[in-house]
Amino acid sequence: MNSILVRHKWEPYVWLLPSILLMTIFVVFPIGIVFKLAFSEISKAGIVGGFVGLQNFKAAVSAPVFGTVMINTLVWVVSVVGLSTLIGFVIAMVLNQEFFGRKLARSIVVFPWATSLVIQASIWNYIIKFEYGNLNNVLLNMGIIKQAINWRATYQIEFMWECGVGIFVTIPFVTFCVLSGLQSIDAAYYEAATVDGATFWQKLFHVTIPLVRPSLTVSTVLNVIYVFNSFPIIYTITKGAPANKTDTLITYLYMLAFYDQQKGPATALSVIGFIILCIVAGAYMMISMRKEDEA
Amino acid sequence: MKKIATLLLAVLLLVTCVGFGLAEDITLDVIICQYGPNTNDWFTGTGMDGSNFVTKFEEANPGIKLNLEVVSWNDVYTVVSTRISNNNAPDILNIDTFADYANEGLLLPVADYCPEELYNDFFPSFIEQSVIDGVCWAVPDLASARALYYNVDMLEEAGVEVPTTWAELEDVCQALLDVYGGEVYPWGIDMTTDEGQAAFAYYAWGNNGGFVDENGEWAVNCDANVEAVEYAIGLYNQGFTNPNPATQTRYDLQDMFGAGKLAMVIAPNSLPTYIADKGYSGVNYAVADIPHNEGATSSSVGVMDRIMAFKDDSAPDQAARNEAIGKFLTFFYDPENYVGWVSMEDFLPAVNSAVAALVEANPSFEAWLNVLDGCQFYPTAKAEWIDVKQGVTSAEQNALTGGDVKTLLDALQAQITK
Amino acid sequence: MSAKSSAGRKNRAALLICAAAALAIAVLMCLPLVRFTTSVYTKRSANTFVGDEKYEAALAEAQAAKAEFEADGSEVTIEESVTERVNSKGETTSMVAFEVRQTVKRSGWDFLAAGFAPATVMRVLVLAVALSLVLALLGLRGTMDTLHRDLSGAAVNLRAAACVCGAAAILMAPVFSMVSTYTFSRQVGLIIGGNAVSGADALLERMDAFLYGGTAGERITDLLGGLSEQVTPVLLLMLLALCVLLGGLIVIWRGGLAKTLSRAGLYLFVIVVSVLILYPFYVMLITAFRSNAETTDMYFLHMLPTRWIWSNLKDIVDRGVLRFLLNSIMLSTGATVIAMLCGIPAAYAMARMNFKGKKIFLGFVIMSQMFSPVVLLVGISQLMNTLHLNDTIIGLMLINAAFNQAFAIWLLRGTFVSISPEMEQAACIDGCSTVGALVNILLPMAAPGIVTTLIFVFINSWNEYTISTVLISTPTNKPITVGITQFSSFNMIEWQYLFAAALLATIPVVILFMCIEKHLAAGLTSGGVKG
Repeated sequence: MNSILVRHKWEPYVWLLPSILLMTIFVVFPIGIVFKLAFSEISKAGIVGGFVGLQNFKAAVSAPVFGTVMINTLVWVVSVVGLSTLIGFVIAMVLNQEFFGRKLARSIVVFPWATSLVIQASIWNYIIKFEYGNLNNVLLNMGIIKQAINWRATYQIEFMWECGVGIFVTIPFVTFCVLSGLQSIDAAYYEAATVDGATFWQKLFHVTIPLVRPSLTVSTVLNVIYVFNSFPIIYTITKGAPANKTDTLITYLYMLAFYDQQKGPATALSVIGFIILCIVAGAYMMISMRKEDEA
Repeated sequence: MKKIATLLLAVLLLVTCVGFGLAEDITLDVIICQYGPNTNDWFTGTGMDGSNFVTKFEEANPGIKLNLEVVSWNDVYTVVSTRISNNNAPDILNIDTFADYANEGLLLPVADYCPEELYNDFFPSFIEQSVIDGVCWAVPDLASARALYYNVDMLEEAGVEVPTTWAELEDVCQALLDVYGGEVYPWGIDMTTDEGQAAFAYYAWGNNGGFVDENGEWAVNCDANVEAVEYAIGLYNQGFTNPNPATQTRYDLQDMFGAGKLAMVIAPNSLPTYIADKGYSGVNYAVADIPHNEGATSSSVGVMDRIMAFKDDSAPDQAARNEAIGKFLTFFYDPENYVGWVSMEDFLPAVNSAVAALVEANPSFEAWLNVLDGCQFYPTAKAEWIDVKQGVTSAEQNALTGGDVKTLLDALQAQITK
Repeated sequence: MSAKSSAGRKNRAALLICAAAALAIAVLMCLPLVRFTTSVYTKRSANTFVGDEKYEAALAEAQAAKAEFEADGSEVTIEESVTERVNSKGETTSMVAFEVRQTVKRSGWDFLAAGFAPATVMRVLVLAVALSLVLALLGLRGTMDTLHRDLSGAAVNLRAAACVCGAAAILMAPVFSMVSTYTFSRQVGLIIGGNAVSGADALLERMDAFLYGGTAGERITDLLGGLSEQVTPVLLLMLLALCVLLGGLIVIWRGGLAKTLSRAGLYLFVIVVSVLILYPFYVMLITAFRSNAETTDMYFLHMLPTRWIWSNLKDIVDRGVLRFLLNSIMLSTGATVIAMLCGIPAAYAMARMNFKGKKIFLGFVIMSQMFSPVVLLVGISQLMNTLHLNDTIIGLMLINAAFNQAFAIWLLRGTFVSISPEMEQAACIDGCSTVGALVNILLPMAAPGIVTTLIFVFINSWNEYTISTVLISTPTNKPITVGITQFSSFNMIEWQYLFAAALLATIPVVILFMCIEKHLAAGLTSGGVKG
């Protein structure tokens, strides 16, 4: 019903061809090389040698910091995706109300997007410096604090800052995805619910959330992938210091490849990351799509 | 899609044609690291009396083209190693390490391209640092020496003399803490991912320890080193240092020192320029030797970067290529160019011919050159240097968060000597 | 009639509450609002151990001083501190210090008379409370029993103005706390530390008059050296009373609280979120125009640059930033065009045609996103070598276009699906080709969605960093993200240039956003992001 007449069986594939070609050449081919490298010996300088089986994977997994890094990655992805989805959802709900200055507010919400991650990370790195950071400067000048505060007292706190910056830059995307979902909801649903005497929360859980779920699914899947692979924030603010305790998988493998010159294990790690992402994103999509079908 | 394919083909053809067209000219790919704010401008902009290095070089050496790129230190390892993986190594590279490239047979021996006269011009003690098994693989481009800078007024206020030993250092730190409360950090430590090896050297060499033993074998876990790192961590634990040694970089320390927030710091010879450039006027400082442990000797820390040439088997005329590389070096180290560059970057020179002019321009250079004479350098010629460099940094950072120094260094030693 | 009297009852009760709150505020004003503790006398005794002769002597000295101050009627305490440590020679030393501390309490009324910033805030607060009561009374005059919907415009305006005054008074309470912290902690600290503060002498004189009745004179800097200032819980009670006052005023204005409060909450939320989001941009803006020295000034007392260094912009332009910007624009535009040229047909097929392997293709699209470009560096660089596209902007365009395919297809497909296919079907029956149907009918209708996709791809390409770093080696080919790395060199980070360049790079994107905000929202609305 929703499709148009297709004159030849091969026609859809012709339409897909440019896209497939582009992606095959520029994405799939490099991915293939990564897989090849993961099973090859790579010298410190970077020369690619012969097939070594799973040796790179063994080396990568047996590194003492591997566990820490995986836990950090989990915390990083869950907290950034989870909280930015939650906050983004709330902001979208608010921006969906009618109020004076809504247009302006909507433009402002997408601002963090306008600067690259590298720049955002540099700005935040500058903001939270203890000695001359802008946050202390502003708070002191506003009289909110009496003494400069060391915002980076321990690495746990630094990691929280990194997560915070991650959330900050992810919110615009979520907000807009949810907002688009909200705007396409027919007002009649709410009217019906109001007539039935539904409370705010009942409307939220029984009308709003089920109807924006498709938008949320897309934004969450893409976010999990982007956040998992996000690298400039941590690299700019702590470089994983102290001793990889603030590294996630992607920054760790970057440091491993280009600082520690262990490119074999680093490539193996990237394949491990890819597999994890496939499983997680795939599972999430299947579950939420099934729910959609049920709903 | 056809259009794109055609476009691709056209581009391909074009590039190939251009490639053949320039066959008589030799093009050298050069990667230079960005030392200061003006590096890029000097090499490729207008920083060299309105012109730049590349233009001047190409004018002086017809038939040789330079494809020169200035890369930030943050990215240079990524760029170089990616290019090596793709058999696309630069012809000439400026970087700090060389041992891996040499050991894997990627480099040309210096003797193949460097003119005799120029080779003899380098400080012999510098050249030595780039020799593996009797073959020299790289030439030094510049060096820096590290020393202790201290805030004269603050030490006076606290009524203490410049510390020369570790025990004195602790007393001075305590005195400064008493006088200034938390307002001033007595001692600066930089154990960040880029500089952890320097912190290790300051303390280990000041305790007659070091990266290697007297036979040149790795000995990172020797007792002297354990004591040295424990001492440094102790300074942090007693509250004598800046609060975040693992993430506060040399820039942060230099800024704190300039602003009078830090009383003592070990810094390179370029610190005075930094302070002047940033406009810190209130700080009255002086230079002294790095404090050492009782019974050990103070040892200045020297850091040196290098220029090296990569092999390129695909070059049609190897002799001409070598000659072109030699011409690049000759032109670069020509005092007329080199003196300007070294003084702009505020480093110490690596060739004799530049000394006279530099000392004339800035008399304080002489003192630094003397310091440089007694400097120890990192064992960069050893194949495991990269592992050690990252390893000691990681060990220090672990120790800062409560790890046991002995255990950490033992593990590192076991890892590099296995 | 009963409605009328209920309105009257409500108004009277609210007015009563307001009056009670105002009375409570007046009473609270008499209680100590801020406690100042200063160190008036310190006796240090070195090489002294607790209980020995020197200790006793020092203690006696401190107690004598205390008695002297107590004679003046001040509240004085003695604090004792002992520091013991082992020096490098292994000897234990000990130092004892006695600090005589004097506590001064000042109430709200005291502040009203003083002449500095916190006092001004206090005056505004009192004035606002008084004004709000007067306005409320004026607004109620003769209309006490009138229903809200029958009120005249003037009465409503007066009542609303009363609320505004009440809100202003509430705002003043935290502001008072901040300003007094700023004045007695930050400013005093800077003056004592020898850093320049404009009008320092006059300020010190006023503080002397306020805290010590003008008796300190020359000693004022010493006294203030040990000053600690603390706002007492009285301020919290005051805040509470102010909230009650505002509640009453709102009832008078609106007849009820709930709706107004939820509206106010909404605006508050929007404002807080906006401020948080704009904060890093504020930092970027002010840092971009500060001097090199000011960027790392550790005693910076201003919220804005002391002098706006506009020449920072000129400096970065001299260092090639415009060229980088141009490269970035070319790169992003090219990448966007390629991504759309490949993405639109694919999305069209996905939305309008049935064929085998549709799901496989979707999976393929998602999979292509799962590797970070960072990880694929080696592969991409090898590919570019093979294609002889190394060091070219075209190469970067293709890469960016490819990495944004998933996004583009997904968004466009959603847009196309949400548009009814009837018109195209009709056109096809009339003999129009599929391509014609797409170009002439669907694309114009899907314009908002296409604009949205354009922006997404443009921004993503604009922000790409790692691949460009590795692929581009000719300086004149570098995009802005790579170009600005020259401002953080081995010797120095030039924050002001870094942020000025970042600002330049941000402005085009922000303008882009502003221009197409309408499309952005609308594009997503038309089913843009749907699974």
